[in-house]
Amino acid sequence: MPTAAVSKVESKKTVQIQPMIYRSVVTLYRIIGIATLYLVLAGILSYAFVMGFYAVNTSWAAPVILAPSDDKSLDFMQKIVTSKQTLEDLKVDEKRLESSISEMIGHRTSLLNLEPELQDAIVRERTHNRAAGPQLSQLDQQKQADNLKTQTIMAQVKQVESSIDRDLAAGLITKGDAATQRAALNQAQTSYTDSKINEVLLTDNILEKNTTDTKSLDVLNKQAELKSEIAQLDIAINVAQEQVREESQQIDRLRKAIATAKQTPYELITSGGKPVYFAFVPYDNQGSVAAGAAVYDCYLNMVACRKVGTVKQTFAGEEHAIHPIFRTDVRGFLVQMELDRPESAKSKTVFLNRKPFFF
Amino acid sequence: MAPALIWLILILCLLISVIKYTLALILKWSVPGAKIKKDYTYQPTVSVLMPCYNEGKTVYETIESISQSDYPNDRFEVIAQDDCSADDSYLWMLKAQREFTNIKVRVERNNENSGKARTVCNALQQSTGEIIISIDSDCIFHPDAIRELTACFSEPKIGSVGGRVGIRNPNASTITAIQTFVYYAAFQLYKVPENWTRSVGCISGCLFAIRRELLLQIEPRIRSRHWFGIPVNQGEDRFLTHQTLLHGYGTYVNNDALCWTTAPATLNELFKQQLRWRRSVIRDLFFTLRTLPQHVWKLHPNTVVTLVLTPLAPLVALLVLFTALSSDPMAWAGPAPLLMYLGIAAALGLAIKKYSVRETVNHPLAFGGYVAWSLVSSLFITTLALCTMDSRDWGTRGKKREASHADSSSQ
Repeated sequence: MPTAAVSKVESKKTVQIQPMIYRSVVTLYRIIGIATLYLVLAGILSYAFVMGFYAVNTSWAAPVILAPSDDKSLDFMQKIVTSKQTLEDLKVDEKRLESSISEMIGHRTSLLNLEPELQDAIVRERTHNRAAGPQLSQLDQQKQADNLKTQTIMAQVKQVESSIDRDLAAGLITKGDAATQRAALNQAQTSYTDSKINEVLLTDNILEKNTTDTKSLDVLNKQAELKSEIAQLDIAINVAQEQVREESQQIDRLRKAIATAKQTPYELITSGGKPVYFAFVPYDNQGSVAAGAAVYDCYLNMVACRKVGTVKQTFAGEEHAIHPIFRTDVRGFLVQMELDRPESAKSKTVFLNRKPFFF
Repeated sequence: MAPALIWLILILCLLISVIKYTLALILKWSVPGAKIKKDYTYQPTVSVLMPCYNEGKTVYETIESISQSDYPNDRFEVIAQDDCSADDSYLWMLKAQREFTNIKVRVERNNENSGKARTVCNALQQSTGEIIISIDSDCIFHPDAIRELTACFSEPKIGSVGGRVGIRNPNASTITAIQTFVYYAAFQLYKVPENWTRSVGCISGCLFAIRRELLLQIEPRIRSRHWFGIPVNQGEDRFLTHQTLLHGYGTYVNNDALCWTTAPATLNELFKQQLRWRRSVIRDLFFTLRTLPQHVWKLHPNTVVTLVLTPLAPLVALLVLFTALSSDPMAWAGPAPLLMYLGIAAALGLAIKKYSVRETVNHPLAFGGYVAWSLVSSLFITTLALCTMDSRDWGTRGKKREASHADSSSQ
């Protein structure tokens, strides 16, 4: 067949086939286009309906899966451990303080007992001084008078000493007698000197009895120190007792806080054991929540609902969550659910107490 | 991954838009060289082609405004081509032909309803001018419009020149007010950087001037346009602009060549008009992507960016909106988009009031409408356009009238 004829036939075939291809493509396009538009329409209507539904519904809750490895759980565990550690530290410190107080009180008692004895001794000494002082003064005067007499006598003794030398030279007495006489004279001189010394000592003693001397001051200083030490002990005991009271209160508060924390969902999941399920309930839906309320899980988050469990308990602590549909921040609280169908814990929403559409 | 890619493209589009608008302001006020050199002594013969379908008395007013043009009357002609209107448009054309004798008016009628693109081609067959100006039959033209358009053709590499389209009825309704903002921003800002490189992506069909020889080269392509065998009779202005660029000519919008169109006053009409335009945009994008290497090697980078990103923006906006609504269903309720749009609308409102008093928007509620319309436009129109690319419906012309025309033709 000539080339021109072949190309003419092919061209004719193309002319015949092309409209068919176009028609097929357009038909397919129209089917897809219509389906897409209906899908878009359905999407828009669903969007509007879901928005409206969740704006007015007051029984929905959003299941929350908590794990020990979650940030909040880890944070909770860390806080509990820290609190317990602080509690133990406080207890130890409280005991240490109590021992310290007890020791200080004993020491204070000893010091308090010592103080009257010291006071009595001072009084006794003062009384004795008051009595002994005048007597010694009188004796001192007598002693002075005696010494004056003795001084006169001692002048005569010097004359006697000269006479001994003359008598010995004159041969009136022997040398032995002279030595004996001289020894007696020396004895008298010594006695006189001793008597003068005693007079001075007596004067000194009288001074001590009649005036406040350094020894007395030392004693008074010791007495003041004793009082000061007692006062300081009083202060230290008071401070320590106050500290014990505060620590005691802190221990009570910590114990309560730990007890409260143990009632949160995070304690339940960190304590291990069987799996526990929770749901976030916004405050707007609080009215639907009570222990024992039925939990429903629905298809498409709103229809063909079935009971999947009950509410076990509610937790008081406020929680923040993202609204499962609106994606806005919502305030509410957590509830613990007992689920017969654990997979419902993974649903976007569940309904508490009642089905949203009665089916 | 996919949302990240979408956001990336959106950011790119936004960035380019910001750069484009910023560049527009700089060029507008600081770079006189961005404007074309106009030679008013250059006065070629001009054929004003006015395709018409069901416009009634408006065609008379349109021809009247052209008859008052500040251009030598012996240097231009008006060819009014009726596309088998179902109303009295044809009679109004004949009346204008009788009354405006100072200019040469030819009134022709298609043998059958053919759509705007083919009606323009039919009118072209009757024309003789060196420069062809295609206009919409519902517009009013400034007396300087023809003179301004032809003056731009003194640059030999310019293939097509457009004028600025304003709104005749800015305060008819909130809908027309919204369009006033959109039109003003498009002509006074968005097209300025494109003007700079003589690569405007779409010259409005309301006032479109093109060299005769160029249009004659493109005409067969206009007539043979189809979507898998279904003739395409919409978006001939975008197609013509695109083809002008591909033929190696420049395109330009002269904002001193003014005309005012009657904007759709109801949401229904606006929706249909925008839907038609969005189909053209998407069709043009497919064409660009199909022939991308040709574009990349032949055209100015700014032109390629304009031709790719401008039509891509509504598609990306649609994807972004879907992504945003699925991840954050209440995203639209936030104050940021509202404030942003209100800010843009307020700025545009003030600019219009200062620089284009005739189009001043009186009702401040139009600012809010502008916000709502942006959402509707992004979410619904693109989707619907993507799914109805085979539609031949003009939209803003009533079915009833088309049906009655069909009845009258058959009789």
